[in-house]
Amino acid sequence: MPITKQTIAIIGAGGNMGSAFAKSIAEGNYRLLLFDRNPEQLGSLHEEILLDHPKADVELMNCPHESSWEADIIILAVPHGAEKELADKIREVATQKIMISMANPIDEDFSQLITDPDTSAAEELQQWLPNSKVVKAFNTTLAADFEQPVINGKQVDAFIAGDDEKAIQSVIELVETVGFNPIVAGDLSVSGTLERMQLLLMQLTIKNEYNWLAGWKILHN
Amino acid sequence: MYQVLKESFQEHVSLTDEQWEMCKKKFRPKRMLKRQFLLQEGDVCRELAFVEKGSLYSYSVDSKGNQHVIRFAFEGWWMANLQSFFTRKPTNLNIEVLEDSELLVLDSKNHEKLLEEIPAYERYHRIILQNAYVALQQRVENALGLTAEEKYNRLIEQNPEFMNRVPLNLVASYLGISPETLSRVRGQFSS
Repeated sequence: MPITKQTIAIIGAGGNMGSAFAKSIAEGNYRLLLFDRNPEQLGSLHEEILLDHPKADVELMNCPHESSWEADIIILAVPHGAEKELADKIREVATQKIMISMANPIDEDFSQLITDPDTSAAEELQQWLPNSKVVKAFNTTLAADFEQPVINGKQVDAFIAGDDEKAIQSVIELVETVGFNPIVAGDLSVSGTLERMQLLLMQLTIKNEYNWLAGWKILHN
Repeated sequence: MYQVLKESFQEHVSLTDEQWEMCKKKFRPKRMLKRQFLLQEGDVCRELAFVEKGSLYSYSVDSKGNQHVIRFAFEGWWMANLQSFFTRKPTNLNIEVLEDSELLVLDSKNHEKLLEEIPAYERYHRIILQNAYVALQQRVENALGLTAEEKYNRLIEQNPEFMNRVPLNLVASYLGISPETLSRVRGQFSS
């Protein structure tokens, strides 16, 4: 874990996943920049973070470009459909930065993925941001898991996929700070599998009424 | 966002447009605010930073908590702790932002790639290191052989806008004299 504080921009911080991530990462040695296209969505997030972590270094931002420029790590906590337009806005300041793809390209009735079978949301994002280091992470966990990363005594696994070794190492540190068990699944091409895992988890959550608190755990010896 | 870096390259070497594009995309643009740290004591320095706008300074802190300024970097200058960068051992220096800055940061992996792929970059880097060595030697000579007055005079001769941008306590620390001595010297100088 670096001693020098790193800066994380959370784009879409007002959403379920964005705010859950922000609250739980605030414990670490990071500076957090919170941006949401609809500022009212952010509500009292800033105050809530400071209440739980009085020393947290957290700031509300009003522009995705400015947020990304200051950041070392950029978290896109927005639906996949909004990522292309966002990529155009931040591309020039996202060069060589870690870009975390949280999105699952799932259709409205949770029946299938909207991406082509031979690609994934993360790989598309990498195409739109060719000079950034896209890492798939935090997409196989539900928003409520961030508050409760240990369910029935089992620590939820969080899968990571990416092509850049150093970027993956930084993301492992994020996953550990949040409290999940990091598992590096492979290079970015594994993202499609991880996105399908979330589709299945959501389908089962609805069918079996898991109350939106559920996660993956690999049992092994 | 890359103008000053481009000028710095052009001052020393010639790059084709294609080579410039290859270089450019290896740098991480990073905006930083005053008093933030680019590097803190105990971390390994894995990056070289080029200042597009603003300024940085590096310093050590002794066992009594006194700050010793090693150097500054303004627009067009590079900043890193090269000792830590080359030996890959934890640094004993801090690099802090003096004025709100726009940096272009190159990590060691991309630096190695550029050295390998673009001979003009290797030449550029050699010239930068050469100049840094000369400046360092000059600084050691000044520190060992000059009076406080001479140190101050030489500093403002070489960099007239220095005094407008750097707080006096940091100037004194950089010159290795007390703030009181610096005030006295400046008083004499202005009269």
